Amino acid sequence: LAGPPSPPGLAPPGWRVPVDCVRANELCAGEPSCSSRYRTLRQCLAGRDRNTMLANKECQAALEVLQESPLYDCRCKRGMKKELQCLQIYWSIHLGLAEGEEFYEASPYEPVTSRLSDIFRLASIFSGMDPATTSKSNHCLDAAKACNLNDNCKRLRSGYISTCSRELSATEPCSRRKCHKALRQFFDRVPSEFTFRLLFCSCKDPACAERRRQTIVPSCSYEDKDKPNCLDLRGTCRTDHLCRSRLADFHTNCQATFQSLTSCPGDNFQACLGSYAGLIGFDITPNYVDASTTSITISPWCSCKGSGNMEEECEKFLRDFTENPCLRNAIQAFGNGTDVNLSP
Amino acid sequence: AALGLYFPRKEYLENVYIDEPAGMPLLRIRALKDSHEEVAHFHLCQNLIISRARSHENNWFQIREKTGVLYLSKSLDREDFNMLSVGNWMPLSKVMLYVFLSSHPFQEKECDSATRTAVFLSLINATAPACSSLTARQLCFTEMDLSFHIKENKPPGTFHQLQLPSVHHLCQNLSISYKLLAAEGVPFRYNESTTGVEVTQRLDREERERYELIAKCTVREGFREMQVEVPFLVNVLDEDDSPPFLPNGTDTADAVVEFSRKEGTVLSTLTVYDADTTPIYPLESSRKKYTGTIITDDPWISETFRVEHIFDEIHFSPNGSQVRGTRHEYKLVLNKSISVTEHRSFQLDVLVNDTEFHGPERSVMLHFNVSILPVSIQFSNITYQFTVNRNAERFAQIGKICIENCMKFRGVNITYKLLSPNASCYPVSILQGREDKYGTLYVNDSSVLRRPECKEVQYIVQAMDKQSRKHTKTLLTVVLEGTFLKKEEDCPDSCAISKHRAECEECGGLGVLTGRCQWRQGSGKGITTNYSTCTPSIKTCPDGICDVVEGRDPAVCPQDCTSGNIIGGHGKGIGNLGIKSGHGICYCFPRQNCYCEKDDIKEQLCDDVCKTVI
Repeated sequence: LAGPPSPPGLAPPGWRVPVDCVRANELCAGEPSCSSRYRTLRQCLAGRDRNTMLANKECQAALEVLQESPLYDCRCKRGMKKELQCLQIYWSIHLGLAEGEEFYEASPYEPVTSRLSDIFRLASIFSGMDPATTSKSNHCLDAAKACNLNDNCKRLRSGYISTCSRELSATEPCSRRKCHKALRQFFDRVPSEFTFRLLFCSCKDPACAERRRQTIVPSCSYEDKDKPNCLDLRGTCRTDHLCRSRLADFHTNCQATFQSLTSCPGDNFQACLGSYAGLIGFDITPNYVDASTTSITISPWCSCKGSGNMEEECEKFLRDFTENPCLRNAIQAFGNGTDVNLSP
Repeated sequence: AALGLYFPRKEYLENVYIDEPAGMPLLRIRALKDSHEEVAHFHLCQNLIISRARSHENNWFQIREKTGVLYLSKSLDREDFNMLSVGNWMPLSKVMLYVFLSSHPFQEKECDSATRTAVFLSLINATAPACSSLTARQLCFTEMDLSFHIKENKPPGTFHQLQLPSVHHLCQNLSISYKLLAAEGVPFRYNESTTGVEVTQRLDREERERYELIAKCTVREGFREMQVEVPFLVNVLDEDDSPPFLPNGTDTADAVVEFSRKEGTVLSTLTVYDADTTPIYPLESSRKKYTGTIITDDPWISETFRVEHIFDEIHFSPNGSQVRGTRHEYKLVLNKSISVTEHRSFQLDVLVNDTEFHGPERSVMLHFNVSILPVSIQFSNITYQFTVNRNAERFAQIGKICIENCMKFRGVNITYKLLSPNASCYPVSILQGREDKYGTLYVNDSSVLRRPECKEVQYIVQAMDKQSRKHTKTLLTVVLEGTFLKKEEDCPDSCAISKHRAECEECGGLGVLTGRCQWRQGSGKGITTNYSTCTPSIKTCPDGICDVVEGRDPAVCPQDCTSGNIIGGHGKGIGNLGIKSGHGICYCFPRQNCYCEKDDIKEQLCDDVCKTVI
């Protein structure tokens, strides 16, 4: 029984615009009752799961009071000042409220309201050409050229490329940690009209697709000696607030759904591509697995070998990257320069 | 676990519409048992989880304790709906409920049993659609994929209800029937009278771990007939019901300690198979389940050796179908470096134990035949003899000193030393890199080479093992040959400065063997490791390694050792040292920059005007 189409890009009725968690924390600190309850709740959450916590009267009271405070549904913004601090506050409340083994977690980030069409408009202004008419050219090469013509993009791109390709010793091809940091800076600080063109350019020949695959310098940022189990990788990611948030954001915005035409939540390609790019530079960094032009396959560096009884869950986790119609449609739509036509 | 009952799914999915009547059944949940006597009791946690943070008391949904039918106890009106949607993050409102399972009636409304499943209810902001407007897919199945897991070795039972209770309740004028399409002999059956799917016998994962069936549904309304098919998957969950076994019966391996004596050296490996799966996540708990212990009373053995256990997934094919199993590898590893003088042999036994297997054959014994051989510290040549040209410069590399088998050594630290017999003629020295297993003989004082009275110098070389203090000596003769030629004037002290072949080959520089620098002619194609350059000796520079002698003075081989800027097309070497690859000719000013560039004016060096002048 399919539901009615959801209102695209609009907040549901009764939905109030959340404040960011850093601000909410300040507001709460100014109110003695809120700040003491917040302290209590944080103690309640330390090392306990939701149900044992709720069994405690004091904890339950703290939770009820906080339900009315701005801390309760505060959110964070990608690339905001004090992003990490904001996420730490967010998870300090939500960690214990979530069930530990929840498969999908809700994103701590504000929803993305911009659309791919906004990017196309900008792209055609700065490149002086309509993306639809340049079907013969190598789009990935054009994207690199466009980036080099912008000081900020050029600086941060050459920054991560040189960091990621610096050989340390015969056994250590590069510093993965520094490479990831440089990649995160690039994707956080360069506007998406540049970064998306590099990541999601459409290709008709292997040379172009190889350039697309090489965008994030996969030999350093992606590949590793061994392929870990995907659930293990997810576990590692979830121990880190930033990585956990980005993964939750990806699951929120790219989780395929039957309830929309494009398979994307709210038909929002921009949000899915943005949260995909937000994963680059973390343990869970995804990339194109090969330079194929006909089929696009994306995966993090992991496999489901050795999953034991969790194989079904592992395959499900991996399929959200490798066989995700929302992600695939979003990448193709970006490459073709087509967005969903939104009826007003 | 004490509780044998379990759910065949981790989550269920259903839609709820506004104003559906109280008493309306939504979903039937089934549970599987451990033994026939068990009776399943279902219970709902009285807490609706809305978004991850928010929750609400459950006033609308209840479950029948005996049958597992989840139903609406109170109609959900628009007001309720709006209240539950507030603060919901996703465009679609979803609430979640936990259903718990117990083998005895629920006493209090506890909310913390380990055996639970999640029911997700999508709240749809509309009244339920009319039966006539629904497609066959919507009438027959929910959006939930039909994928289940069943534990092996458990009694048969019904694990899924195909008929949708809500559709059955609302659309009674429709005839909806199901069929399960399966290959012959598959242990699943559809029971038409209950519309339940049963597993008909105990399953064995080691026989087959995945069943792919098709659920087919036929909807009849008068003369109209519609059909729809969806995949129906069953995964068989594993338990530890297989003992370890040895591939080809091999339980013995040789482990020889000779030249590799370093801590961490893997001496030998024995393999144990198990038909059960072993999750690599979380790794540590799986390691604890499958142990490997050295059986010994000898403290020396337990200090000197350790066993490392790694495992990975392999496939067995018991009857055509592929099932996963585990290969465990037990590696005998040196726990500390062993002295070169140690000499003994013995058998070392390792007990492998599959701790969760409850049969008599839960362990196997592995045997390693360990032989520790002493290694001798001695020079293979009786004497070394090297000749040095009198025109060689300081840091010219003459040769390498190495005891017998020295390059095979791991964990044996040999140091080389020259004991000089006469103090007046002492042109050469020995240097050894931190990791080097050999000593490099090089010219330390070139002025001695020029002195006519020094012709043949004899040294004694000593090699010593650091740990055991064992040492050996041999004779080294250095013969000075050739006549000293006066140096060209205006030559730089480093070969690397020269940019052209002619100026390179007519000058000397630090590190040269015969008084002249050598020119390496590169291939000239793009940025290549084989770039053109001027070097004291093509054998050692540039070879991509900044060796211990080159490292002594930046003028010897900046091509391998520079840490300064490189201007022009290039690739840097390991650890940012040296020029790994360059474009055209690479030349360097020691302690300053290096340059790599194509030499475009090669032919113009002597043009018509210059020829006329000559």
